Amino acid sequence: MALLGLSTLTHKQDVDAMIRDTLDKVLVLRFGRATDPVCMQLDETLGKSSRELSKFASIALVDVDAQEIQVYLHYFDITLIPATVFFFNSQHMKMDSGTPDHTKWIGAFHSKQDFIDVVETIYKGAMRGKLIVNCPLPADRVPKFELLYKDI
Amino acid sequence: MATLADSFLADLDDLSDNEAPGEEEAGEDDELGKEDVEMPDVEVNYDDLNTVAKLQNTPRYHDLMKKVDEAIESGVPATMAKLSEDDPEYQLIVECNTLSVDIDNEIGVIHNYIRDKYRLKFPELESLVQHPIDYARVVKRIGNEMDLTLVDLEGVLPSATIMVVSVTASTTNGKPLAEEVLQKTLDACDRALDLDESKKKVLNFVESRMAFIAPNLSAILGSAVAAKLMGTAGGLSALSKMPACNVQILGVKKKNSAGFSSATLNPHTGFIFHSEIVQGSPPSLRTRAARLVSGKSTLAARVDATMGDRLGQTGRAFREEIQKKIEKWQEPPPPKQPKPLPVPDSDPKKKRGGRRLRKMKERYAMTDMRKLANRMSFNIPEESSLGDGLGEGYGMLGQAGSGKLRISAGPSKLSTKVKKFKEKKYGSSGATSGLTSSLAFTPVQGIELSNPSAQAALLGSGTQSTYFSETGSFSKIKKIV
Repeated sequence: MALLGLSTLTHKQDVDAMIRDTLDKVLVLRFGRATDPVCMQLDETLGKSSRELSKFASIALVDVDAQEIQVYLHYFDITLIPATVFFFNSQHMKMDSGTPDHTKWIGAFHSKQDFIDVVETIYKGAMRGKLIVNCPLPADRVPKFELLYKDI
Repeated sequence: MATLADSFLADLDDLSDNEAPGEEEAGEDDELGKEDVEMPDVEVNYDDLNTVAKLQNTPRYHDLMKKVDEAIESGVPATMAKLSEDDPEYQLIVECNTLSVDIDNEIGVIHNYIRDKYRLKFPELESLVQHPIDYARVVKRIGNEMDLTLVDLEGVLPSATIMVVSVTASTTNGKPLAEEVLQKTLDACDRALDLDESKKKVLNFVESRMAFIAPNLSAILGSAVAAKLMGTAGGLSALSKMPACNVQILGVKKKNSAGFSSATLNPHTGFIFHSEIVQGSPPSLRTRAARLVSGKSTLAARVDATMGDRLGQTGRAFREEIQKKIEKWQEPPPPKQPKPLPVPDSDPKKKRGGRRLRKMKERYAMTDMRKLANRMSFNIPEESSLGDGLGEGYGMLGQAGSGKLRISAGPSKLSTKVKKFKEKKYGSSGATSGLTSSLAFTPVQGIELSNPSAQAALLGSGTQSTYFSETGSFSKIKKIV
């Protein structure tokens, strides 16, 4: 994780501070475990694109196993790992990607470019004042977890 | 060709015979040793070498050579630091510089003399061997020999040149020289070689004292190169007055022998280019290094000329600076960081305008036909393609009043206008028969449609002759099958 250049947050205050203090930039929070393989794939995508998106997005990893973070898991209803939540100026941004859950993104991205497209769309929508945007990815690029697990 | 050259030389001989006595008188008065070179460009065939090359006979020359010999024997002076302008040693060195320039000039003159004499024997040699001293050596070796296989030129010339010389000698149209002419030529060669030796001695002496004369300059370049530079420039003050670009070029050899390519020769490779500090840098950086070194050495020479820094510290500082800069040039460029993407929608799209865009848009614009079809007039039902209101409606297209179903697509405002030819209209009255041809070839306008009845009218009036008429054409126009 240190190699990726992304900070991992374990305390609630850190997460709060992060959400509060990221101004005019999309905040990408990844909730997951570093040991999980899908999570590792997602982390690599996030790490590789962090510099390219640095002008309009900041990325952070949140460790789901920490004690203080459980509050967030309740709040965002996170059951499947990894889950990515987007914020803009402390506003929670939703994205309709064809899955039942619009509040977060489940799973990894197929490619770095997909992730960049998603973040750009969220940014554009947020700058126009929208709170929910449509996912620019075609359906086959969106990992379909929900259908199997049916929102435990 | 040879006979022509001979006749020219004979003419010149006449000239020189008249002038030679006048020369002798002037020569004796002149003590400075500088021969007044009257016509350096014209080959004047002086019979006596002494009228041409006076330097070696002057007292100045002998004095200086003696002093140099003494100074070389006495070795390095005890007082290392201060070599002021009043010091006789310094004066000697300054004189040596001017002397070396004079020797060069003298060698040039003697070379001309030898060349003129030897031209009868082997004219092509001067174009094959340009350097005066090499030429003198070759002439000495060959002498009056016609067959060059008996002559050994090893050590005098590079092997390629020896080969070319031997080949040219076998087909030369020169003749052996007379005995006295040969003797004079060989004397002149000896003189040239002597002068060369003394020049070398002088330069060696200057080089050994270089650290005291110009400490800063020799700190950068080394004593040998510094001495050569000073020698070629003609003294330290002369060197300091040169701009750095000229200093860079000092000592460049302009030898383009016939038949050898000059594409591989480097431009601007003088003494500085071949100095140690420049040759020590990688080949791709050498030209740059030479420029840098010549700039700094010019500054050092100026410091030395004004006796600014006798210890040579400025020179050493320059040397350090030069080395550091060369190191820096060799550093790899910094690694490229990937550029972050620009913020989306931060720069509004640059909308283009102009004629080209408008023309492009025209292809997709709403046509007049469509416009009419889209409109309807009040209380008039429109026609449609399938009739009875089915299919596409035609709107105002083809309405009863207009009478036009088709609307011609007029030329767009942006289309280029085609120039029309000016068509001359020729009408024919109905009276001509259908078999007459109206084509006429005229020299003025090519093919033209003419009114044959008009022509007939002209020809009808028999008073004026139409033979010389400019407007008239053939008198009889008949179709040839």
